[in-house]
Amino acid sequence: MASVVNIGRRIELVPIDQHFKDITIALYSQELESRAVFRVHTYSRFEGVTKRIQEVADAMQILGGMQQNNDGLLFFPCGEKHEAACRRVFLEACKIAPETSVQPRPLNILDKKSKLTITVDSVENGTYSIRSSGEGRSAERRVAAIAGGLAKLGEMDISKDDPNSVSFSCGQSHDALVGLLLVRAPNVRVFLREEESAAARGVLTAPSQQT
Amino acid sequence: MDIVKQQTVKQMSGRERVLAALRNEPTDRTPVCNPTSVATVELMDLVDAPFPQANREPELMARLAATGYTELGFDTIMPVFTIIQESSALGCKIQWEQKDNWPTVKMREPIWEDVDDINIPKDFLTHPDTQCVLEAIKILKKEYGDEVAVIGKTMGPWSLGYHCFGVEPFLLLSLDDPGKTKLALDRMKEATVQFGIAQIEAGADALTLPDHATGDLVSGEYYKRYLRDLHIEFVERIPIPLILHICGRTVDRMEYIAQTGMAAFHYDSKNEPEESMDIVQKRIALVGNINNPETLFAKEPEDVNVEVVKNLDAGVPLIGPECAIPLQTTIENLQEIPKAVQEWHRTHI
Repeated sequence: MASVVNIGRRIELVPIDQHFKDITIALYSQELESRAVFRVHTYSRFEGVTKRIQEVADAMQILGGMQQNNDGLLFFPCGEKHEAACRRVFLEACKIAPETSVQPRPLNILDKKSKLTITVDSVENGTYSIRSSGEGRSAERRVAAIAGGLAKLGEMDISKDDPNSVSFSCGQSHDALVGLLLVRAPNVRVFLREEESAAARGVLTAPSQQT
Repeated sequence: MDIVKQQTVKQMSGRERVLAALRNEPTDRTPVCNPTSVATVELMDLVDAPFPQANREPELMARLAATGYTELGFDTIMPVFTIIQESSALGCKIQWEQKDNWPTVKMREPIWEDVDDINIPKDFLTHPDTQCVLEAIKILKKEYGDEVAVIGKTMGPWSLGYHCFGVEPFLLLSLDDPGKTKLALDRMKEATVQFGIAQIEAGADALTLPDHATGDLVSGEYYKRYLRDLHIEFVERIPIPLILHICGRTVDRMEYIAQTGMAAFHYDSKNEPEESMDIVQKRIALVGNINNPETLFAKEPEDVNVEVVKNLDAGVPLIGPECAIPLQTTIENLQEIPKAVQEWHRTHI
């Protein structure tokens, strides 16, 4: 009989995988030789489930610039945890349908609010500078807001000297990761609210609070 | 809890431990008890018993419920995950939802408008959604009955009133016409008794009796006026330890609850363990209090440990979550509950 396994601390969960038999997929975090590692895991034993889990892990490597060791554990080349960012990589990877070609996200997007093109440049030591181009509104404010969004989603630090610069604490560049986070950064509040509401599904309320 | 007495108690099975605590007798250690669901989406995958099927098919219901013992290490198995099985059998419309959410009664489409509409159908106990519970209890009793306590659940008439009349109409009725409200409760209580007795016959060792006179909508005086005597009657008519469950801040009614003769009160984290123990004074056991939405759902095992220890230090005789746990709760947080209890006992001999 299958049993619960001790594979670390669960940091993220997709309760229903839309792409494979409604299984639940979780992301667990562990430490291996002082390095943060992650495991994509499901308790489901449906046929084909191993392939599905590897698809998610493969997508995480491309979308987040992560690597995988022979034991199936994922990690960032810098060895740091970057937990919030990793959780987002996992959630995005689970959304991708099997057999889809996965590409790293570019370091520029069209900001729908301002109609500006937002570009992120990797400077050095894990620092990224955000700039805008094209015809659009409130360029300065939008760039600062998107820098703030990146900082929030990726647990990055905003430069004290330049509000349009953010950096990872590891001091190393993570282009794929920043490209992934950039998609959500312009609407970070809405995105986090949606995530919070999705996470709250499955919390039972008293009949008096139900409708 | 009497620690001196505990030292002389021989090692008990989970079942013996839970039933002794419910009788206010000494135990070898504090039992870990879930009067409500501890099912999670990961456990559903582990035993291939997902919602909503696990709420409607007895084999799946039993299999998922058993993980509370086999995987989490609780001293109880409680297969009645939802609060809508009887309401479905009474005729309410149910939104069964998916794997990751709880089924709910469509309370905007109430089935009764007046007290005279109340009717417990002849097939109430043979309806698939009540039968499912009875069959699941039989399966669990046969497989685990010697090891752990199998706990069933029968909803009280106040909760059934919300489901069958709608929350607002039922509360308004209680304000406008106390006589009719008492009559309604009196008629609905037969569903509680019938389903409770059927579960005893199926093999349940104890029953949770949720009656949602919750702290946010109903006062302590309301509890006394409408429910205390009814709950005393349940104790007389349902011959098994009963665990009353009411959510929310309930210290204003704990004195009345303690007078009912119920074996235990399943209490919410909005009440402090020590103040609650001071009120009930061993007339009734307490169980629960480990916070769901903040601690079990969103925090770490260390935080769960703190809440378990707080209950143990206060002398709470059974330890468990405050209510049905969120379906996305981590397994490690749930496993921490029995672990923390065992650790506490090792250091308190």
